[in-house]
Amino acid sequence: MTQPSIGVGNSVGARPQKNQAKRPGLLARLRGKRPGILPGFGLSLGFTLTYLSLIVLIPLSAVFLKTASLSATQFWAIVSSPRVVASYKLTYSVSLAGAAIDAVFGFLIAWVLARYSFPGKRIADALVDLPFALPTAVAGIALTSLYAPNGWLGQYLEPHGIHVVFTPLGIVVALSFIGLPFVVRSVQPVIEDLGRDVEEAAASLGANSWQTFTRIIFPAVFPALLTGFTLAFARALGEYGSVVFISGNMPMRTEITPLLIVSKLQQFDVPGATAIASVMLVSSFVLLLVINGLQAGLRGKGEDA
Amino acid sequence: MSIEVRNITKRFGAFTAVDDVSLQVGGGELLALLGPSGSGKTTLLRMIAGLEFPDSGSILLNNEDATKHDAARRRVGFVFQHYALFRHMTIFENIAFGLRVRPRQHRLSKSDIRDKVMQLLALVQLEKHEKHFPNQLSGGQRQRIALARALAVEPTLLLLDEPFGALDAKVRKELRRWLRRLHDEIHIASVFVTHDQEEALEVADRVAVLNHGKLEQIGTPQEVYDNPANAFVYNFLGNVNLFHGRVDRGRVRISTMDSESQESTPVVDGSTLGYARPYEINISRESGGAATVHARLLHIYGVGPKVKLELQDIETEAMIEAEIERTQFVELELKQGDEVFVSPSNLRRFVEDYSI
Amino acid sequence: MITAPQTTRRKGSVRAGDAPWVKWPLIALALTFMLVVLVLPLASVFVEAFAKGWQVYLDSIRDPDALSAIRLTLTASGIALTMNLLFGLAAAWAISRFSFKGKNLLISLIDLPLAVSPVVAGLIFVLLFGLHGWFGTWLDDHNIQILFAVPGIVLATIFVTFPFVARELIPFMQAQGTEEEEAALVLGASPWRMFFSITLPNIRWSLLYGVILCSARAMGEFGAVSVVSGHIRGETNTLPLHVEILYNEYNFAAAFAVASLLSLVAVVTLAVKKIIEDKTGRRGEKA
Repeated sequence: MTQPSIGVGNSVGARPQKNQAKRPGLLARLRGKRPGILPGFGLSLGFTLTYLSLIVLIPLSAVFLKTASLSATQFWAIVSSPRVVASYKLTYSVSLAGAAIDAVFGFLIAWVLARYSFPGKRIADALVDLPFALPTAVAGIALTSLYAPNGWLGQYLEPHGIHVVFTPLGIVVALSFIGLPFVVRSVQPVIEDLGRDVEEAAASLGANSWQTFTRIIFPAVFPALLTGFTLAFARALGEYGSVVFISGNMPMRTEITPLLIVSKLQQFDVPGATAIASVMLVSSFVLLLVINGLQAGLRGKGEDA
Repeated sequence: MSIEVRNITKRFGAFTAVDDVSLQVGGGELLALLGPSGSGKTTLLRMIAGLEFPDSGSILLNNEDATKHDAARRRVGFVFQHYALFRHMTIFENIAFGLRVRPRQHRLSKSDIRDKVMQLLALVQLEKHEKHFPNQLSGGQRQRIALARALAVEPTLLLLDEPFGALDAKVRKELRRWLRRLHDEIHIASVFVTHDQEEALEVADRVAVLNHGKLEQIGTPQEVYDNPANAFVYNFLGNVNLFHGRVDRGRVRISTMDSESQESTPVVDGSTLGYARPYEINISRESGGAATVHARLLHIYGVGPKVKLELQDIETEAMIEAEIERTQFVELELKQGDEVFVSPSNLRRFVEDYSI
Repeated sequence: MITAPQTTRRKGSVRAGDAPWVKWPLIALALTFMLVVLVLPLASVFVEAFAKGWQVYLDSIRDPDALSAIRLTLTASGIALTMNLLFGLAAAWAISRFSFKGKNLLISLIDLPLAVSPVVAGLIFVLLFGLHGWFGTWLDDHNIQILFAVPGIVLATIFVTFPFVARELIPFMQAQGTEEEEAALVLGASPWRMFFSITLPNIRWSLLYGVILCSARAMGEFGAVSVVSGHIRGETNTLPLHVEILYNEYNFAAAFAVASLLSLVAVVTLAVKKIIEDKTGRRGEKA
């Protein structure tokens, strides 16, 4: 081995280096007792919290503060009026229907993409995210023109008495379009990660394909499917752009809750819009908690394995 | 360059990772921090490096207080457990990084940097790989590059966190001998962390054994192996047999063996434990009187120059592991199921009781 | 970092659903569904856009109102992207590199805008900056227009696309660990040097991924922007709003022509996204 010129002798002299700045009290306390050497804690967390407060927290709190300025009777009168209740019912039922369609076909698509190879698979895989990428308004007008009585699909459905445009069915069509990627992208990685050894073990113990699927695979994928379903449902509840064109917006019949908020705003009924919005916000926060719980459960399961 | 650690304590929440540890490393010395996982050895190393800061105590580098200095100011070379090579840079760029980030007035010229990197590549015998990326190298090669990168900044001390932990057994052995030779050449005060006692005993000038954040013993490999300070150290450095016994009016009764109390152990009545390594177990066909254990031979593992025997104390049913020379094994004509008499040639007892 | 090796499929596999009589009908069913639900709407946009020929298409896009909508969309999404990019980097750095109390709560709060209906996202800015809002009178006194003007559109867009960059970066940087950055600091790099020469190159694909998703969503946002914009033609109309106006005026060819531009952006987004996924072995990268 050659002797290189490494050693203490030819050092370049102590490099000037500023000492770590003393951290301010509040952040230091927040951070607990683990000061390592990575820099930028105060700057990054400070910016994060400020920005989060200014853009999200303070504006969102406005909804609840504004609602709180209403008396309980006023509030109740708004959120329980027949037109509003009809919109809740419609919104929840079409969202459930849309999410259910997504669960079935999303699972199928995820399965096919995860397990099989076939020509055009990469394009199909990329296409799954179209509803994420396509502006909702574009999806709305495209679906409306497809299912209109003279549209590509509508012309075959109308003669059979199936009316899509300006009916709740149309809303379901739009919502299942919007929610599809949530299910596929939740389920697909889980199917991909299923160990083949587990299936081979099942087979070696005498299970046939169907038994392996129903007893081994489906239970493993189910939490992810439920997560995807809930995500699709939550997204559907608040959806506006893709629905507004196809629904026809008839009060009591095809008026979803977000639409109702917009029409209240257009009539300058800000308190009414806000009260309804607060009900929607609370229900979506509850769903968010459910989703977080599901995902935490999913992670817990993963660690056990 | 010398390192002195004085009464260092480090807590993470309620957990005390390093508990009042003091030690010194002389210039040119290679010290191993040995301990099981969670013993605080990596935290101690990171505090010496300036990657973590102690809650109390101080760190002196060359007799100068460096407790509050960060890593760059301490001029340490640190080799990370998973090498931490910059994956988007070539091997050349990785090694040159420390030279290039120096303030302009201290920076070497482009050609000097190139010479220096090539010298280091020669030192770690990887000249041909300068244009490769880290993921094109094997684990052992990455390890050597990590070392070259740490040496490029001419550190005054070299710290290595589990340097061979991620390598397979054969490469491990080669690389640690190579590291020993390299250390003898460059002669920088070095500390490395390991949980492998064989590695520590073979490579280091001195070994510091840690457990639950406390320094149990520090000394040359010979010292810690021959004169372990306590049961933990004894246990951690090799396989042991455990004999339960009692101290009764100055006499020690361990298993069925009866002996005078040794001078180093206190004569306090009560239960006691005796320890002996497998090669310190004598086997005979004849009973040696009170100081032997009557045992049955359960299994014979006979591959290699030494024969390993698994025995069971007939009275207490405790398992005993013995290792004897093949010649002796042949002489004794041992067979599975034989009843034999066992006596430890060197039975240790420790003041402080330690449960395995 | 290390991606799990793809399991190779052997012939005569025991895996459920690998039999050809199961496999091909399932593939056919899935693709048919995707054709009807995803491909047809996309195709119809382009067919309708050219239904009245090239001239009408080009005229619709070259229309001054359309051009001003394009400009506004690019401005609003550009600002939103920049802000959320900075936020995403800061949040991911704080969350992935340090331990502090309330971290999990912070992660949940970052996702909050995803749970808010776009319409409600617009409404909150009406409550803040509308004539009867918290700051409405003050703004009016000082002649500052936020609602029904560009700042309102920008704010709504920022809100709706708030988590996109952060969500991509946080799990990726958490999985990555801190060794490389510590190594750079030990070797004497300054904090900014470490950030630009180690952190940023390491997260570049994740960052690009977040940027793509964020900008696609920003350009296409409809509900929130619709509430705060006031629909003033040539002034506060973004592309999606312009599509709506044309559509409601029964100017279908023009509406779809403008929509085709947005669809093109979506298709490019999907393509770039797929390329990044293939390049990084994504979903593996995320784990």
